[in-house]
Amino acid sequence: MGEIIAILLIVGIVGGAIYYIVRAKKKGVKCIGCPDSTNCKSANCQHCTCHHEEDK
Amino acid sequence: MSIRIALAGNPNSGKTTMFNALTGSSERVGNWAGVTVDSKQSLVKKRYTNGLDVVAVDLPGAYSMSAYTSEESITSTYVRENNPDVIINIVDSTNLSRSLFFTTQLLELGVPVVVALNKVDVNEKKQTIIDIPQLSRLLNCPVVETISTVSKGLELLISTAVSLLGTKKTSPYEQASMDGEDKDAMIEADKDRFDFVNDIVRRVETKRPRIDNNLQDKIDAILTNRWVGIPIFALVMFLVFGISQAWLGPWLADLLAGWLEAGQSLVADALAGSSGQLDIWSSILVDGIIGGLIAVVGFLPLVMVMYFLIALLEDCGYMSRASVILDPIFKKVGLSGKSIIPFIIGTGCAVPGVMACRTIRDDKERKATAMLTPFMPCGAKLPVIALFAGVFFGDSPWVGTIMYFVGIAIIILGALLVKLITGVKNKKSYFIIELPEYKSPSLLGACKSMLSRGWAYIVKAGTVILVCNFVVHLMQTFDWSFQVVGEGAESTSILATIASPIAYIIAPFIGVVAWQMAAATVTGFIAKENLVGTLAVCYGVTNFINVDDMILESGASEVAAIFAITKVAGLAFLAFNLFSPPCFAAIGAMSAEIKDKRWFWAGIGMQFSIGYAVAFLIYFVGTLITGGVFGEIWMPILGWIILLGIVAVYTILILKNRVKKVG
Repeated sequence: MGEIIAILLIVGIVGGAIYYIVRAKKKGVKCIGCPDSTNCKSANCQHCTCHHEEDK
Repeated sequence: MSIRIALAGNPNSGKTTMFNALTGSSERVGNWAGVTVDSKQSLVKKRYTNGLDVVAVDLPGAYSMSAYTSEESITSTYVRENNPDVIINIVDSTNLSRSLFFTTQLLELGVPVVVALNKVDVNEKKQTIIDIPQLSRLLNCPVVETISTVSKGLELLISTAVSLLGTKKTSPYEQASMDGEDKDAMIEADKDRFDFVNDIVRRVETKRPRIDNNLQDKIDAILTNRWVGIPIFALVMFLVFGISQAWLGPWLADLLAGWLEAGQSLVADALAGSSGQLDIWSSILVDGIIGGLIAVVGFLPLVMVMYFLIALLEDCGYMSRASVILDPIFKKVGLSGKSIIPFIIGTGCAVPGVMACRTIRDDKERKATAMLTPFMPCGAKLPVIALFAGVFFGDSPWVGTIMYFVGIAIIILGALLVKLITGVKNKKSYFIIELPEYKSPSLLGACKSMLSRGWAYIVKAGTVILVCNFVVHLMQTFDWSFQVVGEGAESTSILATIASPIAYIIAPFIGVVAWQMAAATVTGFIAKENLVGTLAVCYGVTNFINVDDMILESGASEVAAIFAITKVAGLAFLAFNLFSPPCFAAIGAMSAEIKDKRWFWAGIGMQFSIGYAVAFLIYFVGTLITGGVFGEIWMPILGWIILLGIVAVYTILILKNRVKKVG
């Protein structure tokens, strides 16, 4: 029983963490959990102008 | 449809502080120019907007609409081409004549402008009076007094901005048309504009006569003195490390570690049941996931105290002085004075530090700065420093302080190498930075900065590091035939077999072949804090902090028994992990900013080679001094071969450049 609970907990915790990472990456977060580094770095990000400037 | 309000103004006028106050964001702020290099946008809190959807756009600081730097270009392009509904021009009321130059340019665009006269509290203290109705009349736009640090005047500011929607006012100053290529004409036009602005300032501002060489000047004369400035900077950094990692930090960390361990025991007891033994999956959960997490989160108080102190230093105006002290040294090795800003930002995180390099106009200086910024130990490396300082050197603040100064020394050495290899000539350049006035730092602001960075640390620990610890524990538990590794056969695990070849490469500077150390180094490239988590998982030591734990009580000899390395090896291993390439996120930022494959790979090569050379020299010299042994005979031989190889490669590159020059 303990083993099943442990596996379920692992799946829940690790799955949640992976889901968060994937979602953050899709949002264009460059470095997850880094202070002050959530600025846009992806080319198609709509929330900043840094790369659009470069494209011009 | 939402209303878009652009926040524009001079650098260090308080735009991002106002943006954070209006939107509830926690973008980085700093008491110096050049902190914001990108534009950011977010919805303004409803309590300021009467229920309307208002989007605030925070723009990098600009002195004028003529773009001289990339961040000024972002601002002028946004204001010209994205047609914001209203512009809030944040004006530093303590420096009216300089700020209004930009204001008059914004007023010419035809977009409604509200002037936010910011930092009025500082003016009150200095007994400077500004006639606001008169200023508003002369500029022909509304002027609202604000103090963005305490959110004063923001409601009136937003309601004034919204009331201007769709209105059109004439500009009080119109620039006569001129040839954009004619520099003399442009200088003349700027002079005329300054005359206009100075006339306004004369009419609206009443200043208390300035006493020459006041207290601020006297303090600056000492803090920025070329001989005394650096020792003072070293002392300040020593105190920061002392408080965060030796005196206050460990005490708080001990409390937190106690609670976390109690939680871990609770889960372990619940899963073990009556047998008292943990099965394999329960062990992965308790020791791998929870244990690895505790090892990293245990350092949170140390990191938060450090962030708090750095925020206080930034806010009081000291960090700008630190950049002035270092400027002459960096210039001598071919870097721009502006390189200092990325280095200082890099102490928080290398990613925004590298991104801040875009403010440097010279291409080669920008590339060199981007490849050298990760040498500054960032926040993610703090737990690693704290771990080795705590375990091997009794929490001595010297370890962290020395590592910061070694980082600066490596930057200087690296810049010199870049200069010799690329043949960049020293150019006469001026580093102009506005020294903000000293002020008592805001405790609330420092707390906010600390909490925001602390939260970021927890997010990383709960996501990237947690997943890594899980994978590491899994790879350590099973062998290649997916059988559980038995006691005594740990070296057959998947992790051990993958890490072993790297263990031979790092053996010359740790004196042993330790796959655990190699694995920690590799996972450190995902996130540097992983090093702590991986060592904890691999050695089965989940609490490095607790002073009741036998590790710290019984000193270095006990640790040597667990880590199987000497104090000198511990220092060398720490140096390698601090000064070898940064995490993948920072490497990605380097690639994006450098935009040149040759420079980028040269940068990575330089980081590996300098990291290795420094680590090996620390180990070799340290072992000679302490009279220790070098491990097996092949280890120092391999170390010297690699070191001489590095020296040979750099010598060839430098000679090649000389030959090219002569040719």
